[in-house]
Amino acid sequence: MVEPLNALRAEQVAVETRALNVFYGDTQALKNVSLPVARHRVTALIGPSGCGKSTFLRCLNRLNDRIPGFRMEGKVRVLEMDPYSKHTDLIELRRRVGMVFQKPTPLPMSIYDNVAIGARSHYGLRGKLLDEVVEQALQRAALWDEVKDILKRPALQLSGGQQQRLCIARMLAVDPEVILMDEPCSALDPVSTFRIEELMIDLAKDHTVIVVTHNMQQAARVSHYTAFFMYGELVEYDASKQLFLSPQQKATEDYISGRFG
Amino acid sequence: MRWLGRLFDNTVYITGVTVSLAVLVMFYYIAHESSYAFRQTFSWGYRLALLPADADLSTTPNSALYSSLVAVNAEGADGLDEREETLPAPTIEQMQSEAAFLATATTLVSEVSQIREDQLYRDDWREPKPAEREERILVLGYASPGYVHSTMYLAWEPDHSFAPRLAPYRLVLRLVRPPQGVSVEPFEIDLKRQASGRVALPAWAARSDAERTQGYVFEVAAIPQTSTFWATVRGVLSAEWAPTLIYPRYGIFPLLLATTLMSLLAMLIATPLGVATALYLSEVASPRVREWLKPALELIASVPSVVLGYFGLMFVAPALQNWLGQSLGIQSGRNLLTTSIILAVLAIPIVASVTEDVLKAVPESLRESALALGLSQSETLWEVVLPAARAGVVAAILIGAARVYGETMIVWILSGGTATMPAFHSPVAFAQSLVSSTRGIPDTIAIEMGNVTFESVHYGHLFLLGLVLFCVTVIANLAALRVGRRQVWRV
Ligand SMILES: Nc1ncnc2c1ncn2[C@@H]1O[C@H](COP(=O)(O)OP(=O)(O)OP(=O)(O)O)[C@@H](O)[C@H]1O
Ligand SMILES: [Mg+2]
Repeated sequence: MVEPLNALRAEQVAVETRALNVFYGDTQALKNVSLPVARHRVTALIGPSGCGKSTFLRCLNRLNDRIPGFRMEGKVRVLEMDPYSKHTDLIELRRRVGMVFQKPTPLPMSIYDNVAIGARSHYGLRGKLLDEVVEQALQRAALWDEVKDILKRPALQLSGGQQQRLCIARMLAVDPEVILMDEPCSALDPVSTFRIEELMIDLAKDHTVIVVTHNMQQAARVSHYTAFFMYGELVEYDASKQLFLSPQQKATEDYISGRFG
Repeated sequence: MRWLGRLFDNTVYITGVTVSLAVLVMFYYIAHESSYAFRQTFSWGYRLALLPADADLSTTPNSALYSSLVAVNAEGADGLDEREETLPAPTIEQMQSEAAFLATATTLVSEVSQIREDQLYRDDWREPKPAEREERILVLGYASPGYVHSTMYLAWEPDHSFAPRLAPYRLVLRLVRPPQGVSVEPFEIDLKRQASGRVALPAWAARSDAERTQGYVFEVAAIPQTSTFWATVRGVLSAEWAPTLIYPRYGIFPLLLATTLMSLLAMLIATPLGVATALYLSEVASPRVREWLKPALELIASVPSVVLGYFGLMFVAPALQNWLGQSLGIQSGRNLLTTSIILAVLAIPIVASVTEDVLKAVPESLRESALALGLSQSETLWEVVLPAARAGVVAAILIGAARVYGETMIVWILSGGTATMPAFHSPVAFAQSLVSSTRGIPDTIAIEMGNVTFESVHYGHLFLLGLVLFCVTVIANLAALRVGRRQVWRV
């Protein structure tokens, strides 16, 4: 059951931007984007390459800060926090907002430590408790059975798909409330992709998931809402069924029918 | 012109082969020149003296009036010619007037029957001898007619600075013949096991100069035991470097340990500072700071080491002397610690610069992953970025160490120049040797190569030192290459 966007009540909105403008030096990556994201739903971001989807995600956990020339205007709210406020604890923000990248990025340590590092840092967990958290996270990421006997091995020895699930487990071990996924399946085979899609749907029961994808079928399959970006602008945003079946904008229709981008 | 084009196409190949060949040729050259170290002849020398029965125990052959030097001198004793050293043995008359009563005399012959009264010497320097040849020198012992005691002592000890342990011979002192009518147990003493000592003998006096040959006849024999090669190796592996002594010592350990110790100490200082600088540069500094700091660093790295050396001499050495001189009893600011500090100054920019390059090569995605997990800046640094760059950082340290290990000028200026073994037997002694004057391998080569006789044994040993240095730095560089290639991330 997916509520229409305009029926969302304020407490159902977990993440919201208002008139968000982002610049990298002279280029403007996001233009006046106002986008409310529903709590405990999967929201897909689609659009041609370079339209600012990653930029949007990275505004939500302030991963953009490190890019030289980055500048933003407008309002961002994530849960009850304002990421760009001086008083916001960045570490707390990033604990509550997890992120999975396009390419798997296992950290240069063991499989176990990859998953444990976040929980250890945020909650000071040690020993048995930590073992449990690691196991749960790996279970949930559907990786436990494959790695339970090789937890001490370097994470780099896993396959690409396993690495991506490891990155998801790593993020889950921190117990975030909002999950940002930037093309999590683009480097994966269909089986791994299917598993991660299942996981997204499962996660949406108790997490707010925002996923960037270039795969229309995937967006239609897993997401409750879809936002279509082009040239840094939010062109159309609606419940996924609505958007894919009867797009209101010509550009959207062209894009989802493969005539563009 | 086509061949020219082909030449350019093959430039990489040709360059590689040329450089490799050049390194090989260099290695061969150094190895070849160090072969002169193995063409050595070995000197040895003992002093024998007869001492009166009431002699003060502090009287030794080296201090006795009429002692005999029995020696084989390899290098011709640097300008002392044979004649000057072959003093005639004392006559009975001389001995009376000097108020001394005992004497020994050497002779050039090796058969007792050939001893002639007019060929007795006090000192007997000989031509250089190869280590393989057996050498026997006869020594005669007698007292003057006025000698009052019934016994006398034959005492012996190594000549000044002669180290019997390093001689490739069995050295033996034995009684060949007692005087007529005197009964003495024959004895044979292993001079290497018992380098110095004395034995009591019944007194025997010569009544005339002619009778001097009738008394005690002792023999010092040097019997080849080790080959020249192994003797050289053993000499190189010993604990004293003193190539200009009459009995030269070519022990490499004081130099090797000093160089190793000062390099270790320098890297102990340079590693944290260099890595920290690199971390600051690549992870913390704003682009504006980085923009001038990185070139500044590279500028320091290109300062000639002689300038760093003089900086150390003008500022660090006096500062260390003023600050610690009193409490630690430092004699001079030119010591191992000062050298290490300046070597560290040399190494820091190298370590920092290479480490910074290595850190820059760590993919940004790894940092972003760590930050996105909510790890703090320092957790990201220590637990993710550094481990990812670990191999490269180790390589940077090794490159710095190789540079420091071979550094000549700074060590020359600051080490103080005394080749001494560092003391390891107690922490205090060790600390003491860290602040005392020392000398390393590269500066020793630089200092001594200018004064050495071409293709002499000393010359060969300097090349041997060079070979050791070459090997250590090549190994360090190869190790750096190896670990550098083994990067742990693959993203
Ligand atoms: N680090 C950067 N520095 C400068 N400009 C950047 C940077 N990252 C992105 N941009 C610019 O911002 C715009 C949006 O980039 P963004 O990465 O958000 O696109 P995207 O929608 O994620 O594209 P893709 O689907 O290819 O991942 C692009 O025009 C890009 O050139
Ligand atoms: Mg992107």
